[in-house]
Order: sequence, then structure tokens, then C-alpha cells
Amino acid sequence: MATFEQHIHPAPTTFLSKYIFSFDHKVIAKQFLWYGIFFLAVGGMMALMIRWTLAFPGEAFPIIGTMLFPDTHGVIPPDTYAMLFTMHGTIMIFYAITPILIGAFGNFCIPLMIGARDMVFPTLNMLSFWFAVLSAIILMSSLFTPLGAAAGGWTSYPTLSTVIGSPGVGQTLWALAIFVVGISSTLGAINYITTIIVLRAPGMGYFDMPLTVWGLWLTAILNAIFLPVLAAGVLLLIFDRVFGTTFFLAGAAATSGSGDPVLFQHVFWIFGHPEVYILILPAWGIVSDLLSFFARKPAFGMKATALSMTTITILSTLVYGHHMFTTQMSPLLTQSFMTLTMTISIPSAIFFANWLGTIWKGSIRFTSPMLFSLGVVFVFGLGGLTGLYLGTVTTDLYLHDTYFVVGHFHYTMAASVLLGGFGAIYFWMPKMFGVMMNECLAKVHFWLTMIGLNGIFMGMMIVGYAGMHRRIYNPFVYEYLQKLIPINTFITYSAILMGLSQFIFLYNFIHALLKGEKASDNPWEVGTLEWTIPSPAPHYNFKEIPVVKCGPHEFGNPNLKNGRDYQYQTEQLVEG
Amino acid sequence: MSFAIMYFISSAFADTHMSFWERISPPKDISVNGHLIDYLFHYTTFFNIVFFLLVCAGLFGFSYLYAKKRHPIAYYTHGNKKIHVIVATLIGAFVFFAIDLNITRMSSNDFSKIFANFPKKDEDVIKVEVLAQQWMWTFRYAGADQVFNTDDDVITTNDLRLPTGKKVVLELLSKDVIHSLFLPNVRQKVDAMPGRISKMWFELTTPGNYEIACAEMCGTHHYKMASKFKVYSPEDFQRWLATANQMALAENDLANADYFWGWQWEE
Repeated sequence: MATFEQHIHPAPTTFLSKYIFSFDHKVIAKQFLWYGIFFLAVGGMMALMIRWTLAFPGEAFPIIGTMLFPDTHGVIPPDTYAMLFTMHGTIMIFYAITPILIGAFGNFCIPLMIGARDMVFPTLNMLSFWFAVLSAIILMSSLFTPLGAAAGGWTSYPTLSTVIGSPGVGQTLWALAIFVVGISSTLGAINYITTIIVLRAPGMGYFDMPLTVWGLWLTAILNAIFLPVLAAGVLLLIFDRVFGTTFFLAGAAATSGSGDPVLFQHVFWIFGHPEVYILILPAWGIVSDLLSFFARKPAFGMKATALSMTTITILSTLVYGHHMFTTQMSPLLTQSFMTLTMTISIPSAIFFANWLGTIWKGSIRFTSPMLFSLGVVFVFGLGGLTGLYLGTVTTDLYLHDTYFVVGHFHYTMAASVLLGGFGAIYFWMPKMFGVMMNECLAKVHFWLTMIGLNGIFMGMMIVGYAGMHRRIYNPFVYEYLQKLIPINTFITYSAILMGLSQFIFLYNFIHALLKGEKASDNPWEVGTLEWTIPSPAPHYNFKEIPVVKCGPHEFGNPNLKNGRDYQYQTEQLVEG
Repeated sequence: MSFAIMYFISSAFADTHMSFWERISPPKDISVNGHLIDYLFHYTTFFNIVFFLLVCAGLFGFSYLYAKKRHPIAYYTHGNKKIHVIVATLIGAFVFFAIDLNITRMSSNDFSKIFANFPKKDEDVIKVEVLAQQWMWTFRYAGADQVFNTDDDVITTNDLRLPTGKKVVLELLSKDVIHSLFLPNVRQKVDAMPGRISKMWFELTTPGNYEIACAEMCGTHHYKMASKFKVYSPEDFQRWLATANQMALAENDLANADYFWGWQWEE
């Protein structure tokens, strides 16, 4: 369906044009991947510091503690603790998950899977990455300002995030960084949407696109609509902080006219709830594809899965009020938001059924990408179901702002997305870098990560239900929380296990890059378009634009006579 | 690997005198309506477990049965036969109608009839104004004249005292940033915001000493923003209030403008 000719450009020759300011979507994807993995490590380290404080309050953080916090002999002080959880949330969401799932795999997969030579706006694509870098520099520089980085939580509710609660320049830089990352994501999103609409290979209808592309497409749509909302919100916050406006100030602090701090929460969550789906939709898409690829069976009810994801995308824009039940909005609104929230479970249940339907009567190959995909089904099941308590207003009155919420959203946004991201890295490694990663190490990595993350997030839900609230430096100043010391210690041990097991991944990844086994063109025996070209993909992707003749999940067709159990999308569907 | 798990579990619970169940239970419910929230939690949990077991049965069962070595040739279907579509839709509809709508209905009833249904104007209730600020709670009782912001108001800091057997209405306001009054033993919390009065009501059942926390991140010492919460029998409460009232009349510093932070009670 290409509406214009896609020329083959000569390959870039200088170092700068090839690796730094590259227009090639595959290079930009790799840039995003490095960037994302770097920040995943930074955010993960911060998580470990947070966990250390909760399990062993008043004890020095081991090894690097005395270097980072010399004034307190390695003990993390309370103000730093607040910066740590603020930065952990911000970094993980905007600088780790978004670049890996959307930046790296969005860029890499979309053109290759729809049979295009590149994105439709290569310059925007490059700018998207460099805006992300600029944003990261702004954010990280805030750590070195006199009063330190932002410390109001990643949600940065006013009036805490205005000059009343956070006088330092760190909070302003935080808002600026979010604004710039918003520009980056919006540029990327426009590019993805347009590319998918205009550059699909001839013959490829929307339902012939792999579900990965569906997920990324829906994510891009949400990104394009809602990141500008967040950007507007933080811009007003910057005005309040720098120019003395009072959009979000009220009460004694509002000396010149009165605004409303709750207004920010509305703006924030109009963006914030879709953001959850922005992060999870690519992982859903990837998992839907991988389950089919390794069950050697067409994706069960593929159209229904795609439409369910679309329905969830639409519904996700209508439910944000469930984040604000305790601000005492009107009961009518409360009940409407609760009911709308519950309707999300219909499409969710349908695609869950379809996931299980895909592996039903398959011939499952337990490769590492498959293990990670099955892991996503498990953890997302837990994450999705525990959402019911929080969408229900009365149970939310108790559970709101407790660790139960923290456990829940980590299951949905962190665990599922992380597992999906790892699955994707193991799966596309051959096409990205032309090498295979070690399967055995990958499986060890999977099981250790799985045990670790379930220990962490299940533990969090348990302490949350027992009444431990969020963002507290030392929970044990409360008598009723003292019984939770052992469970908090257990969570921290799990976090350390999960943290350490990532070194297996890092070793595997780097080892594969340096001297990994060379990958064949189609090591997983999959028929989508990216596997019809050499590994690693050449800079022009497709020598000739492919013509698509069948769907992406043609496995196990009994009429196939050529010794393969799968068909390429460029082949006519064999019928009996 | 199982070693690692056992090591974790044993290290975490080595010093136990408490059963694991006791340890993970929420604090004692001391309110008339808290059980509604606990009930809904358990109801949801029951169905969640059922559903999660179904998911696990599919996940692990199919993984076992249809592994390549047991099931070398996959069944070729796109899952778009009528029966497939019907089954998937039925599962979706069942989850929605059997669980979600039930939970929504119960919660909605509880919320509109109880938690958001504040006592009427003429009802005899205990009224307390709560001022939140970084990082303390201040509570104001109207005193003998039943009018707030007058000379005889009883004011306590980080020390809320209430009786059993009578409805209590709290009105909250914040001086600086958003806080959230969390009473774990009552299963409720409500935000205290600058420039906007919020309310909460409950009725207590069990005298004793409890705790109040701030649940909304409010700055560096958020974790220290705790308050004592003492529940009296009605007689003890009257006795305490009478004494406190006399002390207030003798000791309230009326020259200090900050003393008059209260507001006219909003019905």
C-alpha cells in the first residue's frame, strides 16, 4: 500500500552519519536500546537503594553507600530517599521502558514487519532520539543542583511540587525534562502512526499486520494524544514555579488569586492512565505474536485480539478518575469511573482467552522468548486481577496509596513490560545484531527474574494490605507496621536476587555481541517479513518491496508440502 | 534454586512469634462499617483466586500437554470458528457480569448509602476539624459552645481522641501541601487539601490506642507525620473533653493569631 516510491539510499559512510546522527531506523532502534538499558540499570540501582532503606533502616548501603552518601556514612538520608523514589519512577517509565519497548522495538519492528525501507519521517525519528537524550541530560543534571533532584514522587502533585513544597531548581528541571521527553515521544508517535498507515507493503491489510505492530500502533496513537496533555500540565507547573502564576496553588499560599491543586491531578491522570497502556500495549502485541510463533499455531482469534486491544485503548481514556477516589470527588463521578474501569475487564478477558487459545493444542517450543511470553501471561494475570480492588471505590479507600498499589502497578507495568522487553530482545537479537544469545543463560535469567519479581511484588501487595503506605522512609516508626519487618526484608532479598540475575543478562548480551554465534536468516522459523531478509538486516531492509499474500501467523497448515511448518507472508496461502 | 527460595523464606520468618497469617492481616477493624470493605476485599479475592487458577490451569496445563515432545504437530486453527468466538466472548461476558458488576454494585451501594452518605444536619455527631501541615496533624473540637474558632475550642496536636458509639465527622484542610488522613483501623482515608474542605465520617466500636498516618507524599518527613489515635468509651470521652475544655479556657493563647485557624463548620 505504498503510496510513494521508497528509494534505496547509499549507505552512510562516516562514523557520525552512521552511528550518531543516523536516519536509519535500525540504528536509532539500537541507540534507544543502549539508552534504555543504561537507564534500566540506573533505575534498578535506585530501586535497590529504596528497598535497602525499607528493610534495613539506618544501616549503610553496602559497597557504594559511603561513596554516594559520605555525610551520613553510607546511610541514605530521608531527603535523598524521596529523590530516589521520585527518580526511580520517572526514569523507569520515561527513560527505560519507553525507550526499550517503544523507542527500540517500535523503531526496529515497524518498518521491518510491514515491509518498508525506513520510517516515513527519518529526520523526526532522529530528532526523537536526540530530544530524549537532551531530556535525560536535563533530568540527570538535576541530581547535582544545590537542593538535589525532584522529590515529590513521580506524580509530582502540587502544591508539594510548587515552590511551597520544593524550593530547589531540581523540580523545575524535572518538569522541563518531562516536557522535552514529551516532545520526543510525540515526534516518535506521529512517525509510527503515519508509517503504519502509508508504508505497509502492497497486499498488507491492517489485519495482516503482526500483533506487535498493532500494539505499537495503538501505543503511538495514545502517545500522540496524551503526552501533549502531560506536557501542558508540566508547563503550567513550570509557570507556577518560575513566573509566579497560581494555576495549582490554593489556600494561604495563593497570594494572587486562587487555583486548584486537584486540577493538576486531573490533567496528570488523563495522561497517566493511558500511560499505563502506552507502556503495556507493545508488550501485549509482542507476547501475542511470540506465543503464536513458538506454539507453531496461528494466533487464536487474531482479529478479536487486535480489536480487544483497540477497545482497551479507547476505554483507557475514560477511566482516569479511579486514581483520585480519595480526593473526594462527587459520588456520581466516582461511580461512573468505577463502572467504566470495570468494563476494561471484558476485552482483557477476551484476549487472555485468546492467548490461552493460542497455546491450546499447539506444539510448544520452550525457547527463551517463549518462556518470557508465558511469564507475561502469568504476571499480567496477577496484575490485572489485583486491579479490581483498586478500581472499586470502597476497597480503594483502604488500599489507596498503600504498597498494595505499588505491587499492583509493578506487576502490570514493570513485571509484564520487563519480561515482554526481555523476550523481545532475545527474539530479535539475531535480526538486530546478527548473533544469537545463549539459550541456557537466557533460561536461567528467566527463572531467577521470575522468582525475584514475584517475591518483590507479591510481597509489596501483602505489606500493602497489612496497611503499609507508600513513599515512607522508615515504616517502622509506626507501631502497627513493625510486624512487617520480616516481610520487608524478604522483599529486599528478592529484589537483590532479581538485581543480581540481570548480570546474567548483561553478560549474555555483551558476550553475544562480541563473539556470539552467527545467526541464520531465520533462526526461529517464523514467516513475518523481517525474517525474509538477511541477518542482520541490511541498511535498505528489503532489496525489493515485498508483496504480502497471507497473514503473519501461518503455522502448521496441514496442506503445506515443502517440509516447513510455516509460511512466509510473501507466499500464497496454501489451501487444500 | 529451591534452596534459594527456602533460604529466603526461612530468613524472613526466623524470628516469628506471630503466625504468618496474623502478620499479613490488616490492623484490627474498630469501626462499624469497616467490615464492609473487608468483606468486599475477601469477595474479590475469592473470585480472583478462582480466575487466576483457571489462567494457571490453562497456562501450565497447555504448556505440559502441548509441549513439542508430547504434541509434535499443532492443530491448525485461526480460532475464528463460531464456537471459538462464542467461548471467548462468553468468558469475557462471564467475568464482567459475574464478578465485576457484582463488585461494582456492592461497592456502589456501600459508597452511596454509607461512606459518602454523611450524617444529616440535625443528627448529634462528634465534629472535629483537622488541619494538616508539614509535618503534623492538629485537631480542633468546638468546645462547650459547639461553635468552631471560638475561645473555648479544644486543640490537640498529633493526638486524636474520639468516643465509641457515636458518629464522628471530620472536616479536613491543609495549610501547605496535600496530605491524606489514613486511619488503617477504620479502613478509610481522605485527602487534606489546601483551599478545599474534605470530609470523612465513621463510627467507632472498640476503645484502645491506635495510630493515624499520612498516606499522601508530603515532603521529606512524610514518614514521620503520624498521630496518636485514642478511642474512649463514651463516658471516658466526656470526662476527657470536660477536663480538656477547662484547660483550653485557661491556657489557649488568644493573642496569637495562628490560634484561629479553624473555620465555620460546613454542613
